[in-house]
Amino acid sequence: MHPNQAQVSDLDLLNAIKRRDEQALADLYDRYRVILFGLTMRILNSREEAEDVLQEVLLQVWRRAEDFDEQRGRPFTWLVTMTRSRAIDRLRVLGARQRLSESAARETMEETSDAALDAFKSEQREIVKSALAELTEDQRSTLLLAYFEGLTQSEIAAKLGTPLGTVKTRMRSGMIKLREILGERIKTFS
Amino acid sequence: MVHEEYRDMMTAKALGSLDQGEARLLETHLASCTDCLSIMDELQETATLLAFAATPMEPSPNVRSQILSAIRPESSAAQEKPAKAPVVQMPTRAATSWSAAQRWGAIAAGLVMTALAIALFVLWKQNLDAKRDLASISTQMEEMRQQLARKQEAESILTAPGARIAGLSGTEMAPSAVGTIAFDQTGRAVLMAKSLPPPPSGKAYQLWFISGGQKIPGKVFMTNEKGEGALSDRIPPQALNSSVFAITLEPESGVTQPTGQIYLVSGS
Repeated sequence: MHPNQAQVSDLDLLNAIKRRDEQALADLYDRYRVILFGLTMRILNSREEAEDVLQEVLLQVWRRAEDFDEQRGRPFTWLVTMTRSRAIDRLRVLGARQRLSESAARETMEETSDAALDAFKSEQREIVKSALAELTEDQRSTLLLAYFEGLTQSEIAAKLGTPLGTVKTRMRSGMIKLREILGERIKTFS
Repeated sequence: MVHEEYRDMMTAKALGSLDQGEARLLETHLASCTDCLSIMDELQETATLLAFAATPMEPSPNVRSQILSAIRPESSAAQEKPAKAPVVQMPTRAATSWSAAQRWGAIAAGLVMTALAIALFVLWKQNLDAKRDLASISTQMEEMRQQLARKQEAESILTAPGARIAGLSGTEMAPSAVGTIAFDQTGRAVLMAKSLPPPPSGKAYQLWFISGGQKIPGKVFMTNEKGEGALSDRIPPQALNSSVFAITLEPESGVTQPTGQIYLVSGS
């Protein structure tokens, strides 16, 4: 992160947004646009839809900044959770009509990503990637299907042809393991 | 104490993967159990890190400007600072013994200065008004541009082979509302609706294609202050030949099955 950006915390930015400070919203956008857009792209696999959702999220931040509750977590968690959930809502609306078959396209997207962007938060990315690599294949795919494809536990069970109980167990053990590996380092993320 | 039976549900919720029935159950529990709530927050924090598994990507530069222009009308009124009124310094000189000509000259100069100051003030006021008008004109122009684009699209659909039009009429929720959908054989469709009541905060109108007992979700749209709304969408192939169109009021991000009241519906 840029040293001068680091001086203003996410919380400061959110408080400024509550006071209708446009610049603060612009700063928050500049700070997280590539990770949030990466997330909406991964979920929606369409630049047009992903940009539209990103825009919606920032407008939601602007309108609902006072809904953020400091006691319940960090601004980054709030922002990412909101983005992910909006993107999944959009995916469901689109997907009810045509399931985007994207796994192949997603793979290529990973390959062709811009090297400059890879540098963004590369340390955190590496930590998360290596933590994911320590999970079993079953645990990992269950977590990723839930998070990026918005499948419910029963939908994952149906898709993988696995009993629902097994899906629940994998999901739970996967998350516990992820938490153990990442442990206290989580606090330094944002 | 953390309630074991809710553990799986909390994990699934953090990953956004909880079935709807359980979601309600968990919500009720979390409202009264602070221990579980703090576990929930911790799980949410862990799940958020999965976002780092997606490759960061750069959005188009116009996303930023669109966001900022969308919030501007809301905040500009509060932020608009009145420009400083032009102040013209009147000449202050110790009055000694002036000749009549000098005196008249001074008075004339004073009058000219005062007139100038008034003129300047009027100009400044006009400039301010003009700026305001300009802002409202550019908003109107943007709206008109979008309407025009929509009309052009409708026209291109209507001139395509096999083009059709369906009229929508208001239900008891909005008796005066009307709408039109133009669509072609490929499913390209444009909806234009008017006289819809303004959606409450967090809500928007959503289009539905109803075919063979199935309700297939379309896109959501907002209305302007005149109650007009429009959107471009694609009719799914299975609904192309025997579809009823309906507009319901839904959460603004859209839903997969209708939950709200029907405001507009086409004849079957």
